[in-house]
Amino acid sequence: MEIEISRRRFLQGSVALSVIAASESVSFAEKNDTKSNIISSYGISKTSKDGFSVPTLCEICVNKCALLARVENGVVTKLDPNPYFPKSKNMLCPRGNAGIQALYDPDRLKFPLIRDGQRGSGKFKRVTWDEAYTYINEKMVKILDEEKDNRSTFLFCAGEGMAEETFKTFYQVFGSSNWLNHASLCLQTVTSAYGLTLGAYPQADFENATYVIMAGANRAEAIVTPDTMDLFKRTEGRGAKLVYVDPIFTNTAAKADQWLAIKPGTDLAFVLALTYVVLSEKLYNESYVTENFNDFEAYQEHILSHHYTPQWAEKITGISAATIEQVAREFMQHAPQSIYYPGRRSTFARSDFQLRRAMAIFQALGGGIDIKGGLVFGKGLGLSAHEEVTPIYANSKARAIKKKEQVTKGQAGYEDCAIVSGGGSWIGWRNRFLEGKMPYKVRGMFVYKHNPVLNMPNTAKTIEMLQKMDLVVTIDTMPSDTVMYADVVLPECTYLERTDPVKTFGGVEPSIAQRNKVIEPMFESKPVLEIMRGLSAKISKPLFEVAQKYDEDIASSIEDSSYDEVYAEFDLTKPFTSSQEALNEHAVAKYPDAVKSLKEKGVYYPEMQTFFKQLSANTYQHYPEKAKAYTVNAQKPKTSSKKVECNLANLADKGVDAMPTWKDDFEFIVPEGKFRLITGRHAQFTQSGTGNNAMLRELISENYIWINQGVATKKGISFGDKIEVSSTTGKTVLKAYPTEKIGPNMVFFIHGFGSESKGLSLAYRRGGNDNAVIEDKIEPVYGASVMHETNVTLRKV
Amino acid sequence: MLNAILPHKEINLKSLFSFEKTPFNLIMTAVTILLLTFFFTGFIQYVIHGHHAYGVTKEHPWGLLIAMYIFFVVSSTGLCIISSLGHVFHIKSFEFIGKRAIFGAIITIVSGFCVIGLEIGHPIRMVIYNTISPGFTSAIWGMGALYSVYLFLIIMEFIFLSRNEHKWSKFFGLGGLLIGVAAHSNLGAVFGFLVGRPLANGVFYPVYFILSAMITGCYLLFLMYGYKYKMQFNDEMKTFLMHLGRLLGLLIAILIFFEFWRFLTAIYGRVPQRSDTALHILHSGNFWFGEVLLGMLIPFGIILYSKAKAIKATIYASLGGMIGIFFMRYDLVHDTLLYPMQTMKLKEYQLAPSWVEYVPTVTEWSIALGSLGICLALYYIGENFFFLDPDKEDDYFKHYVADEA
Amino acid sequence: MAKYAMVLDYKNCINCKACEVACKEENGVLLGEHYHRIWVGVNPIKGVYPDLSIASNAFYPSQCQHCENAPCQDVCPTQATHYDENGVVQVDESKCILCSYCMVACPYDARYVDERSMTIDKCSFCSDTRLARGLTSTACQATCPTKVRVFGDISDPTSEISMILKTREYFTLKASLGTEPKLFYLK
Repeated sequence: MEIEISRRRFLQGSVALSVIAASESVSFAEKNDTKSNIISSYGISKTSKDGFSVPTLCEICVNKCALLARVENGVVTKLDPNPYFPKSKNMLCPRGNAGIQALYDPDRLKFPLIRDGQRGSGKFKRVTWDEAYTYINEKMVKILDEEKDNRSTFLFCAGEGMAEETFKTFYQVFGSSNWLNHASLCLQTVTSAYGLTLGAYPQADFENATYVIMAGANRAEAIVTPDTMDLFKRTEGRGAKLVYVDPIFTNTAAKADQWLAIKPGTDLAFVLALTYVVLSEKLYNESYVTENFNDFEAYQEHILSHHYTPQWAEKITGISAATIEQVAREFMQHAPQSIYYPGRRSTFARSDFQLRRAMAIFQALGGGIDIKGGLVFGKGLGLSAHEEVTPIYANSKARAIKKKEQVTKGQAGYEDCAIVSGGGSWIGWRNRFLEGKMPYKVRGMFVYKHNPVLNMPNTAKTIEMLQKMDLVVTIDTMPSDTVMYADVVLPECTYLERTDPVKTFGGVEPSIAQRNKVIEPMFESKPVLEIMRGLSAKISKPLFEVAQKYDEDIASSIEDSSYDEVYAEFDLTKPFTSSQEALNEHAVAKYPDAVKSLKEKGVYYPEMQTFFKQLSANTYQHYPEKAKAYTVNAQKPKTSSKKVECNLANLADKGVDAMPTWKDDFEFIVPEGKFRLITGRHAQFTQSGTGNNAMLRELISENYIWINQGVATKKGISFGDKIEVSSTTGKTVLKAYPTEKIGPNMVFFIHGFGSESKGLSLAYRRGGNDNAVIEDKIEPVYGASVMHETNVTLRKV
Repeated sequence: MLNAILPHKEINLKSLFSFEKTPFNLIMTAVTILLLTFFFTGFIQYVIHGHHAYGVTKEHPWGLLIAMYIFFVVSSTGLCIISSLGHVFHIKSFEFIGKRAIFGAIITIVSGFCVIGLEIGHPIRMVIYNTISPGFTSAIWGMGALYSVYLFLIIMEFIFLSRNEHKWSKFFGLGGLLIGVAAHSNLGAVFGFLVGRPLANGVFYPVYFILSAMITGCYLLFLMYGYKYKMQFNDEMKTFLMHLGRLLGLLIAILIFFEFWRFLTAIYGRVPQRSDTALHILHSGNFWFGEVLLGMLIPFGIILYSKAKAIKATIYASLGGMIGIFFMRYDLVHDTLLYPMQTMKLKEYQLAPSWVEYVPTVTEWSIALGSLGICLALYYIGENFFFLDPDKEDDYFKHYVADEA
Repeated sequence: MAKYAMVLDYKNCINCKACEVACKEENGVLLGEHYHRIWVGVNPIKGVYPDLSIASNAFYPSQCQHCENAPCQDVCPTQATHYDENGVVQVDESKCILCSYCMVACPYDARYVDERSMTIDKCSFCSDTRLARGLTSTACQATCPTKVRVFGDISDPTSEISMILKTREYFTLKASLGTEPKLFYLK
């Protein structure tokens, strides 16, 4: 994985962006007069005399739903759903509605800050932007000088978001190779397993499916658009049968036709048994399998010979053999209009990668791939790429991934895991950093819109990592727990105050949508693009000096040409000179009218003018039925072989089972007196991001720990009692919620509470922090963190 | 000049503060001043904090102050009704009580208005819009309008009684009685009309209010005369109080009979909400100790056992009886609101709504108890300034010789 | 002169409470959990884990029922609570004396005290906000992910809401009280 360092250090990209800058448009705010009566033709948002609406995209979670922000006298007064967007289909969830409170949160980061006390003390002093940039510059120059221009001495990490790519561009031109984001804490295993098995991570066509198995994806509370809307309009015998598999009774269970209370972490056994039933009873779609499967016979042999029978699975999963048989048969009766929902979530158990593989194959056995009512790939609307600027630094070291000293075939090649994808394993990286197992010193950290202190298992270790850094720079809108450990805090404006990179949304009804600035940034906050512009202007030359010092080729190049010419190749400011609006115009230039539509409606897709219409008070047509992209690949998977990959021999070389296999050590033992900790999501709360939202706080003021009613009664615990939850990692305290909705040897609480940041006046010490307790176990294939394999003890305090 | 309209004693501060310094009088003075201080403190709290000073909630919007208001107007109506037995219905032994009872009716309803003025959010708006935008279907409007007329009538009655003009006093007395009964049953209807509150809804409260008003009137007369005569009664007084005791006994018996059937019909058949609420009430100490024991059984037992001859014991029991009546008023409000109208959980992390709880705040207690101070003070002032007993010269009362002892 | 009403396809409800937030933001309802015009209710689940009754955990979105025979309107002493020309139960702030009788009388617990005006507040079908701006939907309807609500004029036989009521079975809450709610729950 070593970066091949070219001795010809010319830019791989070019400076084509300056072309766009020349045609830069006036800022959006000056065009307010065009915003009136945006969609009044449909009676959706007739604007009042002194108000207007701006179409934009939500950022209160990852879904990016379209909304119309009403502005009256310069104040955002209401966020309404924007019906033009096929993905969010004219809806806004509670969090989306509460976005105004994020905009006007009194605790927002308002000014650049520099630490003024012990790190983590939460003491900062207000500085000017220039002072902040100067401070960063001095520290960076010193560190890079000491590290002989090893750019990888700086770690860059980011949370998910539309402006993440702007920050990532900075990481690229800066020349580090240490990039970490939410993937290994989130959906790494599911996307990768589906990618390897079906060639892509598919979407579920809930509008047309007649049978749905949903396991470990709580769509009523962990809202995903359009899945949540499409599914629940049709459950309870009204078009689709929903079989919901979850150890706890969630709001999704309340909407299901059948709820299977599975033992946590045993989904793989459940799917293998479903597969066993289908294969042994020959219920699968024979013609589809013959045509579209690689190594089907091997897989069949594998499943049957391992005797993954329903009776076998009953003992592991707690779901009766008869039920497993019933579900398998029903699924195949409904196939291909049946869906085993892939889900989109963090890794719960070590078996997660194989679980996803087994799910994908099971789905394919019914032929429900790339077909209406099944799993679909959909179409995408391409955007024109901006040309990249990537200077090559001679002394920049490769990513701080640790390969095993001796790699033997059939075993994982890395310390953390078998396969490194994206940034690799976050907790693996962090733990190696703390254990001194890095190939070189990593001394600085840039954190954008990311809160690893609360969002990564083992909070104490994350804090320790931050404490050991020589420079921590955070860019955020709120004083999160991570921001508390920063040396420099750069205030980003909220999503309602900025235009973000335009984004394309593929699917059955593909579209392009844009986050438009609604009001000017408040206080001294700025969009990340402008922050990067200012920072790069400050550090570009001094860092070039450092590069020059440790790379004699630069000096010789300067002699060959001129200083200016060589510096131009290392000019960090270049990607950030254009306005976001101009960049977006460039990205959609190939679509006529797209720029106008994105500004006025927030959404664009070809033929929108003719396709879009209101069908009833609540429903809109985005595409007519015949124009929907249900089948784009002739009902075949998108793998390079165009086959479903049952048997991945190259995985076996890396120590990963080539076919989904149940291992005895997947069974998780809960000792007497202990409880398996399960975490999850909530419809009125987005991880740690909305903890300080005043509106959402009254819907859910804190998380409570679910304890089985019988167990609670036996232990003398009643509603609201304070419970200390502890594990080998640490402890946290929260209130008890005895309920029949959870089984006796497990406890559950929602992730994201228990903030220790005093800057968050509403979130501070509210509820319990799951990551203070969750043990930092690593999933073996991708190094994802395993969230549900921690035993805890409870104590009434 | 006032004397020409309403005969009175000399009104000055000196007479107000010159009273017989008996220990009992001194205690009563101290209690009255203390209660007035309470009221004033509560009033200040209300001025500063508004309704936040009260323990009322969305689910329990009415509380102690409404109960106290009802307590006073029940007292007023009760005194009015009992007094009318004499000068309206000519029951001989009741005739002499007229002035004192009517004066009592005036000061109790005035005290009640003082309390309700601090409970209604916008009392001035109430006066304006009750007049120019009347809600005729509203029992509160009816009650408000009728009580205003009632207050006017009984003041007129008091004036004419004081002037010994008995034709007019009888006219206003009858008017006051009719309007008072109408107003008071309307107050019962304030609760009886509540279709969403199964136990309160129906005929019981309007009827019960009149009955319990009469009982209250009897208790108060026992207390007033006991106080006035320092428990030393002449024969005629004894006769009157014995008659009053018998009447009280009868009324309590009817009340017990009412309550028995009320609860039995509420519980029988286990109609949802109604029976649950009734059973819940039957499990409360307020009901058994306050309402039943103090308010009914003890006075009834004494009257029954002594054939209404144990006057002193009855007077002491009347004190307990009034406490019992207070419990009845408090429970009336609380029991009506006991069953939640929202029975579902609105948030995950809450217990399902169950019986609605209400705890009066210190401010509410201050105002409620303090208002008794208003009543006592007004009574004392009245006793000092007005002639509350029949005029010896009045032919109308010639069969009665007032005891000046 | 319309007769506004609402149907709720309540089985669609996933208890996300988007409607509650949209209502608060649209109508400027004060923060604080006791101040709310609309809500989603759920009964405690029946059964013992894992044998639980799914049906017992149904979600009931609700708000003022805009009864045709509204107890709150009957009991208001100053006609502060009244029907507007569209049959919507409204509170005239200037006339409300805060006697709280309507709160006691409402069988649906749909009223609360607004701490700014110190008067009783309640759902107004967004009359003074969205409808006044010419929109035809309430905030709770517009924002709903699963489209539980349809608001409209039941005096117009061709309106969407009228068509739904003609073709779908429905029930109303506490119908036995004779309040004649105009919130219709679809079976």
